[in-house]
Amino acid sequence: MIAAIGLKLSHLQAMLLFALVISIAFGFLGRRQPIDRVKYIIWSLFLFLLIGVGIGWAMYPFSR
Amino acid sequence: MSDETAAPLAPPQDSRREAVAFLIGAAGWLVPGLGHAILKMWGRAAACFLTVGLLVVFGAGMRGNVFNSNGNDAFDTLGYVADLGAGTFYIVARSLETNGADVSHADGDYGTRFLAAAGVLNLLAALHAYEVARGRKA
Repeated sequence: MIAAIGLKLSHLQAMLLFALVISIAFGFLGRRQPIDRVKYIIWSLFLFLLIGVGIGWAMYPFSR
Repeated sequence: MSDETAAPLAPPQDSRREAVAFLIGAAGWLVPGLGHAILKMWGRAAACFLTVGLLVVFGAGMRGNVFNSNGNDAFDTLGYVADLGAGTFYIVARSLETNGADVSHADGDYGTRFLAAAGVLNLLAALHAYEVARGRKA
């Protein structure tokens, strides 16, 4: 089982996985047409990553 | 004396629809995607089941904290409420995490967020199913 093995992900991998899964859920819940869903998923994923990386860089000066 | 200010009673059909919508929302909370499946929204049902399931499996795999009812502070209680949002998948998360939580590493911390997000996402999906059943959303 995956839980017994112990999953090891980097920060970026965990963020990517989280953003992808949540974007898919938002796309399916928020839109009806398949093409609209795909657009919404891509846009949502892009914003998740942009804001995530942006906040990461914004915190960089305070990390040391 | 006239009774003009009294609120009109809801027709029996509306109250029945409200009750059915509530049951659909509750079903969607208990089993992720079931509310949408009852409404024959197969794509949304599959998406809810898979996304909530993936978040729970990965969250437990990363040894995130699955909160229980006897938390020490308000944050533990909030975490418990969020985790409970996953319905029966909360029990799945507990059974998957045989080695217990380990939040001493970043993985465990991420796992905790994954599990909480699974619960909140499922609550959102259940609310969506409830609103669709009420006829407020398409």
